[in-house]
Amino acid sequence: MYIKPVGASFSLLVMLLFPMLLLAHDVSSGDQQILDSGGLLSYIWVGAKHMLTGYDHLLFLAGVIFFLKGFRDILKFITVFTIGHSITLLGGTYLGVQVNEYLIDAIIALSVLYKGFENLEGFKKLGTRAPNLLMMVFLFGLIHGLGLSTRLQTFDMGQDQFLLKIISFNVGVELGQIVALIPIILLINLWRDKASYEAFYKASNVYLIIAGICLFVYQMYGYFNGH
Amino acid sequence: MKKVFFGLLAIVLLCSHDMFLKMDNYFLDPNTNAAIQLFNGTFEKSENVIDRNRMLDMSLVGNGQRIQVDSAQWTEKDSITFLNFKTGGPGTWVAGVSTAAKNIALDAKSFNDYLEHDGVVDMLEWRKENNALDQDAVEKYSKHVKTIFQVGEELSDDWKTALGYPIEFIPQENPYDIHAGHSLKVQLLYKGKPLANQLVIIGSDVSGESSMVEHSHDGGEPHTHKSGETPDHDHNSGLQLRTDDAGTLEFEITNAGVWHMRTIYMVQSEEEGLTHESNWATLTFAVGSGHSAAHGTDKDEDHHAHEEESFPSYIFLLVSLVIVAGLFFYFKSKKK
Repeated sequence: MYIKPVGASFSLLVMLLFPMLLLAHDVSSGDQQILDSGGLLSYIWVGAKHMLTGYDHLLFLAGVIFFLKGFRDILKFITVFTIGHSITLLGGTYLGVQVNEYLIDAIIALSVLYKGFENLEGFKKLGTRAPNLLMMVFLFGLIHGLGLSTRLQTFDMGQDQFLLKIISFNVGVELGQIVALIPIILLINLWRDKASYEAFYKASNVYLIIAGICLFVYQMYGYFNGH
Repeated sequence: MKKVFFGLLAIVLLCSHDMFLKMDNYFLDPNTNAAIQLFNGTFEKSENVIDRNRMLDMSLVGNGQRIQVDSAQWTEKDSITFLNFKTGGPGTWVAGVSTAAKNIALDAKSFNDYLEHDGVVDMLEWRKENNALDQDAVEKYSKHVKTIFQVGEELSDDWKTALGYPIEFIPQENPYDIHAGHSLKVQLLYKGKPLANQLVIIGSDVSGESSMVEHSHDGGEPHTHKSGETPDHDHNSGLQLRTDDAGTLEFEITNAGVWHMRTIYMVQSEEEGLTHESNWATLTFAVGSGHSAAHGTDKDEDHHAHEEESFPSYIFLLVSLVIVAGLFFYFKSKKK
């Protein structure tokens, strides 16, 4: 399969950036209505939708995938990320752990910045060793899960089947993650052997750094001015 | 025997029978089916339904129009009266119900208890000061309730529409344009004019669990009451404020969630066969966590738009595309 370099990079770019069309990935009235009128399936649906529109989660994962080679590696890292965010999503929501949504999103933005920086061998250029990636992905997974938990807690979930609702939302998040990752993985891997991949790799990861900084500033601005 | 009968009647008819318009979700999509619930009891629990023929007015105001709701649109289930309706276009809507007056005869003790427990303290004080605590009462009462909800994302001015009820709350700012941390000013009108020095009780409900906002009594320590807790002053719990000369009061929105306010304005009646007349008003609305607010609530020019509107997504996308494309061609040309 031959993909024209510019066309493919544009496709990937749009795919990576699509979630930004829904910038705030906030709790909407529509989502609350879906949850009110549907059963556990509605939580799966909203969880999947949230992941698909959660640009910061996907940008981080795209950054992780850029770094990896081979399906086994990808499976390992995505599993670790999934375990990480599931722990805090399930535990945080069930225990009612409340964190400031702006601050947690600001930290998630830093994880995007971190991944771009690491992919561009930022640590090497600084003369230091990068922390173990698997450990960092797990750590960031915990943080992303706390962000997801914060969003979930803004819904009026009622008391019936509370744990099952959280689990359903988590299942939805995983399904959404799979749906989002398949085209990203495919395109990155198809692109890997092309001559322009290096330029694309650098451009995408520099963008992750810029996006991470911008999102961080945006969230901190919201923290100081939005309350 | 007569006193016992009146006492029981008072408990059945008046005790805790506040009326509220409530919604499961105050943020609705345009042109979708929704339901407004009419609670008659407490904010947490409806204890009975309202006869249709008692509803003098049921109105929905949105998109600049006032729609009279037909009584056939009401249904009853588990002591709650439901209004099923279809939302219209985007905007901040208001719904209201006004009931016809009913009379109730109460012996002196029952009347005093009711005044004390339902926050009609001014009339109780008057009775104390004028040695009238032993006088029985025949009271005419009616209830006028409103709720404000948001349809879609676009804010509109319908929320401040006066429905012309004998007594009603009118916010001075769109509740859906503010969020926790900001104060909200609300005006209380009685027969269309500002009602000064009237006691209003305010509470909030977070994630379906009612919680009274932090308050204190007689200079005591500030505290709150959780749902299920049975304080010794439960009917008057919540933030208690009095309206100023302009009939307004201002309170801080301490949390996102559903907010409710209530007041009972009672006067002595000259009408034959009556001793008192009361008009009850409540207002409910929700404060979201995802809406931006006005900083400096008194300055309209300081209002900033909804977060999503203030930072259009397409700009983000376009800027991002330009950045990556620019970087891509930069790195590609550098390699050559």
